Amino acid sequence: MKGSRCLHQLKSLRLLSHAGRRLPPAAAAAGDNGALFRLHSSSLLGGSQCPQREVLRHFHSSPARTKSQPARFVQEEDKTRDKSLVAHDDLFEQVAKETKTKATFNKVIDVYTKRDIRRRGHVEFIYAALKKMPEFGVEKDLTVYNKLLDVFPKEVFVPQNFIQRMFNHYPRQQECGVQLLEQMESYGIMPNTETKVLLVQIFGEKTHPMRKYQRIMYWFPKFMHANPFPIPKQLPEDPVDLARFSLTRMANDWDAKVTVYQLPCTDITDSGAEVTLPHIVGIQSPSQMEALAKHNPCRPVFVEGPFPLWMRKTCVYYYVLRADPAPPEEKIEEPYDPERCFMYPLQLDLDLDRDLGDDESFDVEDLDDGPVFAMCMTSQGDQATLNQWISGLQQSNPILGQIPTLFRLGAGPRELQGVGDTDSASGTWFSSHAHKEEADPGEDAEAVVEEEPRRSQGVKQ
Amino acid sequence: MSLPRITHLPSGRLLSTILHHQPLLPSIIPLTVPKRAVIQGLEGIKKHFTLLKKEFTDRWVGPEGKPIVEHMLEQNRVVWEFRGPESLREWTVSSDREIGGHSEAYLKLGRNNNTCFLYGTLSSTPPRDGETRYSGYCTMRSKQPLASFDRKKHHDWSSFNTLQLRVRGDGRPWMINVSAETYFSHQKDDIYCYFLYTRGGPYWQDVKIPFSKFFLTHRGRVQDDQHPVWLDKVNTIGFTLGDKADGPFQLEIDFIGVCKDYAHTEEFAYEAYKRNPEV
Repeated sequence: MKGSRCLHQLKSLRLLSHAGRRLPPAAAAAGDNGALFRLHSSSLLGGSQCPQREVLRHFHSSPARTKSQPARFVQEEDKTRDKSLVAHDDLFEQVAKETKTKATFNKVIDVYTKRDIRRRGHVEFIYAALKKMPEFGVEKDLTVYNKLLDVFPKEVFVPQNFIQRMFNHYPRQQECGVQLLEQMESYGIMPNTETKVLLVQIFGEKTHPMRKYQRIMYWFPKFMHANPFPIPKQLPEDPVDLARFSLTRMANDWDAKVTVYQLPCTDITDSGAEVTLPHIVGIQSPSQMEALAKHNPCRPVFVEGPFPLWMRKTCVYYYVLRADPAPPEEKIEEPYDPERCFMYPLQLDLDLDRDLGDDESFDVEDLDDGPVFAMCMTSQGDQATLNQWISGLQQSNPILGQIPTLFRLGAGPRELQGVGDTDSASGTWFSSHAHKEEADPGEDAEAVVEEEPRRSQGVKQ
Repeated sequence: MSLPRITHLPSGRLLSTILHHQPLLPSIIPLTVPKRAVIQGLEGIKKHFTLLKKEFTDRWVGPEGKPIVEHMLEQNRVVWEFRGPESLREWTVSSDREIGGHSEAYLKLGRNNNTCFLYGTLSSTPPRDGETRYSGYCTMRSKQPLASFDRKKHHDWSSFNTLQLRVRGDGRPWMINVSAETYFSHQKDDIYCYFLYTRGGPYWQDVKIPFSKFFLTHRGRVQDDQHPVWLDKVNTIGFTLGDKADGPFQLEIDFIGVCKDYAHTEEFAYEAYKRNPEV
């Protein structure tokens, strides 16, 4: 309680200093603010409310707001004053005819606050505004939330004694404040000190919105960096850059090199038809190149895909070049070459003194899915594009010319799709060993095509 | 079951029916139980008694049926391993379809019958029942372990301090929920949660989460009074996804185990004292 009273005194002092300067323009202004200042200064000087004037509660705006000169919304006010009986949703719908931006959203809030000093129906207005935020694109903007919180009249809902504190003073307004903070929390926006000051002025301390704010401020910093694979808030727009970022993320190897085999472009063929060439971005690390070089040419390699990768709300698809795990008799353990590294020995034959039972490995058989030789991302996952990728890979891995390559492509969405566009009905899941096991009835048929071992380079199909 | 109709005869005639041995009640067909049910019932009885016998004999071997030396020195334990179709029967899959939403979730065995594959679609349109505001989740939860005669049994992980699993996700953030046995009925929905961030990609990901990081929630709301999860009576573990991104998802799990990490000395990651004192 003391805190809010101090704030109140601070504010009143400020307003008093402003009062002298403000009175002349306030007298001319379309006037709620003017009336406010006049009333307030008179009450301070008088020490009590003037009985002749109407008993108006003091709806103080926060100190942050007094800095900016309230803009004149004369035309909007006239427009809306005629429709004084409309519900609050309609205020937003009127704006819907123009473009929905942050400026128009702020304008609507200003129109509402200037309209009535008593802020009638502010709870419904705030609920309607919270619902319309995603349409205006301001749901992740903290300043807009603070401005919306400013719609609440100040110091009216602060409990004055212990009975009011006990009995959930002004429950509807407290619930509305909590819902506003909950929407902020669900979008992951961290409130700042201005939010705290506003909440203290509006609701006081030890109220539900203040508690909710304290909980947000306790848990958000704890979980903000919990992700060991962080994703930037703003993903790159360019599909090639996005592919590069996601491939390096999946590759888990600093030495992996990203190669762009083809940039997206639109060609016009001789017949006049437009042909869009998709981008092809591939990644391969030196250890994968070595593994591919040692691969037995009798065993085929498979191009599988598309597999989904989600980053926040974007889903991209990638393709994988892999082989089946070698049967146990073919696995040979090559001894480490001691000349590979002179800094430290790569293989130690020491019997380290470990305690009985000090074994950190799990008693699970190691799953061997087979080596992965390369990955790629492309917007159009048909065989022609993937062929191009393989031919591009062949330049750095000549052994690919002798290894038969099989394509196992699932019939799923092939393009870079955002949220809500993905076709969930068709199976994007690949089923392994389709030619050995029976295919799952729910999945679509896959295209399995045998490629000729010889492959001319740079062929465009 | 309706009573069979007794023939209506005047009282004088009733006596004569006894003398003449006329039947008063029509013959009742004896109830036949289908043979399959009998066999199943007998199998169930056999199973329960076997479990009961095992419980009695296990006590003579050591705690939890293992010799005490092994129990004391145990450092890793694989709790769930997906190596065949019977391993899927221990898990329950549900999504917000139960409350009227449009998400789907299915569980099947993964490649080579060696892993479990949880897949489906999320849809965050809330059901139109007037009170649900957020929707779009799916979950996979293990079934409560049962002793003989379907009595509740608990996992005892008191000698371990880390949860370790090998997963292959698609980049989505999942949440691991551990549910422990509670005493009071209003603690029934107390779940200890932590995040499982998947990287995505074709490689397997080893995830190690110490139990000191799990925070207490009740019905999805993080609680103010936090305390570390009590590991001596753990009921279920679950994975849930609700990241508000509509679209298909998939998660492949190889195994779930618990281990004792001697290097991890933290007891609890969050403040356990009262942080929001009452008015």
